[in-house]
Amino acid sequence: MKKHSKEWMLLGVFVLLFVVLSVLSPDNFLTLRNVQSMAFQLPEFGIFALAMMVTILTGGINLSLVTTGTLGGIVSALVMAGIYAKGMKEEIAIIAALLVSMGISTLCGVLNGYVVAYIGAAAMMVTLGTSTLYEGIGLFLSKGNSISGFPSAFYWFGNGTIAGIPVPLLLFIIIVAVTWILLEKTPWGMSVYMVGSNKKAAEFSGINVNKVMLKAYMYSGFLGSLSMIIMMSRYNSARVDYGSSYLMQTVSAAVLGGTAISGGYGKVFGVVIAVAIMQIISSGMNIFGLDRSLTTVVTGIILIGVLTLNFITSQKGSLIKNKLKEE
Amino acid sequence: MKKFVKSREMGLVILLAILMVIISVKNPAFIRPSNILNILKTNVILAIVSLGMLVVMITGGIDTSVGAIISTATLVTGNIMVRITGNIWIAFLAGAVTGIFIGILNGLLIAYIQIPPIVATLGMYSIVSGTALYITKGAYINNLPDTFTDFGRITFLNIFPDGNGGKMGIPIQLVFLAALIGLTYFILHFTKIGRGIFAVGGNRMSAERIGYNVNKITVFVYGYMGFICGIAGVVHTSIMRQVDPNAFVGYDMQTIAAVILGGVNVMGGEGTITGTLLGVALFAVINNGLTLMKISTYWQSIILGALMVVSICFVVIRKNQSEKRQIKVEIDQEVTK
Repeated sequence: MKKHSKEWMLLGVFVLLFVVLSVLSPDNFLTLRNVQSMAFQLPEFGIFALAMMVTILTGGINLSLVTTGTLGGIVSALVMAGIYAKGMKEEIAIIAALLVSMGISTLCGVLNGYVVAYIGAAAMMVTLGTSTLYEGIGLFLSKGNSISGFPSAFYWFGNGTIAGIPVPLLLFIIIVAVTWILLEKTPWGMSVYMVGSNKKAAEFSGINVNKVMLKAYMYSGFLGSLSMIIMMSRYNSARVDYGSSYLMQTVSAAVLGGTAISGGYGKVFGVVIAVAIMQIISSGMNIFGLDRSLTTVVTGIILIGVLTLNFITSQKGSLIKNKLKEE
Repeated sequence: MKKFVKSREMGLVILLAILMVIISVKNPAFIRPSNILNILKTNVILAIVSLGMLVVMITGGIDTSVGAIISTATLVTGNIMVRITGNIWIAFLAGAVTGIFIGILNGLLIAYIQIPPIVATLGMYSIVSGTALYITKGAYINNLPDTFTDFGRITFLNIFPDGNGGKMGIPIQLVFLAALIGLTYFILHFTKIGRGIFAVGGNRMSAERIGYNVNKITVFVYGYMGFICGIAGVVHTSIMRQVDPNAFVGYDMQTIAAVILGGVNVMGGEGTITGTLLGVALFAVINNGLTLMKISTYWQSIILGALMVVSICFVVIRKNQSEKRQIKVEIDQEVTK
């Protein structure tokens, strides 16, 4: 139980917040409409958060996450709109768009992973550079405009429901499950944690560290494209700056969810709860008519607060408590 | 080792020179004094803030709250100037104190609660910018007192032709840059804490064992960053003659980009002021020069991004090559966990 105490505490925070918000505003918060609305908004952020988490687990970070997604999105949007305009079937256009988007974003991930793993440069710097690069290419291709002209069937990805459950949420659940399986049940997943914990030791135990990290960045890019597809469907267009505010928030979500920024530790469960917490805070503040700017304040306070709590309850904290007792 | 560093900076100087030649050939307006002075004035803030970021990154840390510190400093200073006094000294004092205060908070979180720098500064960024935005509702401050705006217009050495028949000089803001360059250089190379900064960045465990108080150094470094941001904020206000709370969103990334171009080692322990300034210059020349060459802004991002990646690879490959020749004793940081 102690091993997962961080995540259970987080679940407690979530439940507490949910209850508080419901009590404070039963007519607005606990309604089906609001819950559905949150269920539509959460997935795009949640998928990004998982994408960020995977790279953080290896001891790196992916600051190019959002621009990887938008680049894939813009190229696929151009392809989709182009095919659709030529009068071909909607399904072809959509499938082409999906494949192109995933392909491009994964390629972006390959570049990231290659430089980080094989050349050995610091992930933060590399992904900052590639972020600028991808953004530039995206700007070049879109000329700064939004690209639209999607077939109407595409609308379903971001706005449809199956049995009342929003499609994006179902996609998110599937992605959560897949990511969990990859990380917890496959050799690659276990290698990811080992590489993040201690790169040298992982190397000495026969793990191909470079391959593991490369795959992590590829998977991260791939997930980024999925999130962007949902966003494109919700906004019915693609633009370079979609999702730009999400980048740092995903780092917050990952860390709030218990992921160690130095790598080696992090639970999918924790990150999902953290994403949920951030979502209900955002929606809650919206419902109460509180300023958008206060949402960032509250998120920041919760982030630092939870980490401080973690620190105090952890080993290091108790060492300091003992030291104080001695004095 | 010095040769390695020197050659890195030489490389930057050569690259800069080549770029400037290319741009000047394409558009001679680039090399005109009025344009050069314009570039200087536009990028003096970036240069100032990059100095602070360099110091932070030498310790192996990072500060993503830069944008929030600067805008808060401008807000505090702006409000004081509008409501209380237009005294320039007080303005700078207010800016510096605001910056130092936030910076020290960062440092405390990072040093004593052991929150990783990126997370701590991210959290502070959210809290500080959110609070500032909430209080001011994003309103500009436009009615700054004349004493301050006149101060911002002071120039020295009015000997350069400005293209319209008149003369222009070096803006006073550059004096601040020069002063801060001097101060940063002095701290890094002539004080005990400066040596400590390099030590902590190089190998934290070793630094501790040698006797450096890593926590105090950390708090100092982030406090210094805050101080620099505060000054930068006031200098910026003196240029723009108004306060815009949103002017520095995402500024941390630009600063980090410039410092990377300048060849800092992100893992910590290495970095030079010259390199950083060259990185800023490169950044500035690319932005200004590409515009003058009528190359669209989209290409600027692409070129900048590509340059950053290449620059990083360059630094790392060089470092790996030189490390292979060294015999190193690796101190395992994990042992004491």
